[in-house]
Amino acid sequence: MPSEEVTDRRPSSGASAVRYAGATKRYGHSAVAAVDELTLEIPAGEICVLVGPSGCGKTTAMRMVNRMVEMSAGDIFIGERSVRDLSPAQLRREIGYVIQQIGLFPHRTIADNIAAVPQLLGWKKDRTRARTTELLELIGLDAELAERYPAQLSGGQQQRVGVARALAADPLVMLMDEPFGAIDPISRERLQNEFLRLQAELRKTVLFVTHDIDEAIKMGDRIAIMREGGKVAQYATPAELLMAPADEFVEDFVGSDRALKRLALMRVADIDLWEAPLAHVGQATAEVRAKLAEPTVEVPYPLLVDSERRPLGWLSERDLAAEVVPSKPDSPLGPLLDRDDIMRDALADLLQGEAQYAAVTDAEGRIAGVLSVEIISEFLASPKAKSEEHGAVERPHG
Amino acid sequence: MASPALTAAVGEVGKGFIQERSSDTLPCQATDKLFCWDWASEHIDRYGTPTLQHLELVAISVLIGFVVAFSLALLAHRHRWLQPPLLAGTGVLYTIPSVAFFFLLLPLTGRGEDTAIIALSAYTLQIIFRNTMVGFANVPKAVVDAARGIGQTDRQILWRVELPLATPEIFAGLQVATVSTVAIATLAAFAGGGGLGEPILKGGISFKTNLIIAGGIAFLIAVSLGLILFAAQRLLTPWRRARQT
Repeated sequence: MPSEEVTDRRPSSGASAVRYAGATKRYGHSAVAAVDELTLEIPAGEICVLVGPSGCGKTTAMRMVNRMVEMSAGDIFIGERSVRDLSPAQLRREIGYVIQQIGLFPHRTIADNIAAVPQLLGWKKDRTRARTTELLELIGLDAELAERYPAQLSGGQQQRVGVARALAADPLVMLMDEPFGAIDPISRERLQNEFLRLQAELRKTVLFVTHDIDEAIKMGDRIAIMREGGKVAQYATPAELLMAPADEFVEDFVGSDRALKRLALMRVADIDLWEAPLAHVGQATAEVRAKLAEPTVEVPYPLLVDSERRPLGWLSERDLAAEVVPSKPDSPLGPLLDRDDIMRDALADLLQGEAQYAAVTDAEGRIAGVLSVEIISEFLASPKAKSEEHGAVERPHG
Repeated sequence: MASPALTAAVGEVGKGFIQERSSDTLPCQATDKLFCWDWASEHIDRYGTPTLQHLELVAISVLIGFVVAFSLALLAHRHRWLQPPLLAGTGVLYTIPSVAFFFLLLPLTGRGEDTAIIALSAYTLQIIFRNTMVGFANVPKAVVDAARGIGQTDRQILWRVELPLATPEIFAGLQVATVSTVAIATLAAFAGGGGLGEPILKGGISFKTNLIIAGGIAFLIAVSLGLILFAAQRLLTPWRRARQT
């Protein structure tokens, strides 16, 4: 019995590669296939986002994996095994399933909802209870909520429970169909970040369907952009997709702001920062002025730092008119960035603070350099930077 | 109500009762008073058996009606094409005038409780069937999709998801069916089925005290059964009372 195999598996141990081998779905005798000979390989432990306009077959492609939609031709393999080797119900118990409308059982408590698959698999009560408690903790839900009903939870909390239910029996693969689509933008961002944090730990193979390219770029290790008729227009990492769209369709879908989108994939540390002339409290202003006069100077304002090289503020002309550098600078520090900040957020801080320059600090709070809007725009424009970007890509965490 | 058959039946059955009554010497019943307390307190025991019979008629009829209609609903839920014909079929039964139904059955099943129960059960089919179908239809599609997606079989989805979620509608149907059966069962007496219709039939429609007592008991039965079913529905669906805190 395959269900016994599942029972024996240790939590958080399994993830299998998913391989589409010419998977095709044709409804009735329609000449146009909903999904046309899809061949795609998703490595174990990665998030693959299926993205595309409505009607492109992305949901159908996803639902063929757990046979909620039966293939007309071709095959899909989870690990070495075809999805056709098990009965649909048995197959589905090994695959996590999260949908946009959440679909919690309204008549069951939160604990029972999470325990749904373990119960189907016939786990012992103690084991199920322990797993439920573990999952509630994992998704950051108060244990008190375990005996509540879904209607008593917020939409965001409900979808967390939806994810927990999908994870309960430690599935080989997770299918997520626009899981955060019906949730308000602020909660959505939090849920996305939480899921990425979970995923960093669990390393499940995830098929994630969305129509939102920004979500695709944020969530995906790989993105399959699909076009009408269930064809894959491009299958690539987010950075490749933004840098080198395969054709006009992909370019259009990714959007004219793809340069900006690339910033969501980078951190401040990934770019060459400028150096500001540093000044210390009590230092002679003549010394500082001399530094400013050097031809190689990149930032025309001196940055006041303390003895630990932690930035305090910018010195103005008036500050420099004095004999020694004052302890309280004339201009406030303005936006202060961290080397680990996402570049897109850093740019937003710069623009929002109406600042030309922003000091960037390392983990200890010491000055690491200066970021300006100019650096960012030069970076985006330079072809050299584009080739560097490959190595620079790192998943943003919230 | 004014069919010749009915008048004949009333006259026939009523005769003995009136004679019996006229042998009494209580002054009240001879008058046109609305309610004769003395008569009532002296004769209340004669309503015991009809009341029990009435309860029995209702309970058996609703039970049979429920078993049949519920089975049909399960069948129609799996085979969608059965829905229109079953809805039409039970609908036709429902539209037959009740008195006519009893008399139509007489040549087939004879006088007695069986005939009454057949007719009464038939009346409950439409309401219970339709409400059960409405209950199934109201189950959120996403919940069923999720249930299937996590690996529940069709049978598990039916018993663990759809039926519990359809409980409020099913009980609403049972409630209406029960209350209306309590009312219609007063006509069972025409078919010799007993119940609270019997004293009414015997006493004739002019003796108001009798009408009020029999009618009042039927009313109390209807209200109590309705309340019991309502309470049962609430007990079975605790999630519907859970509120955001």
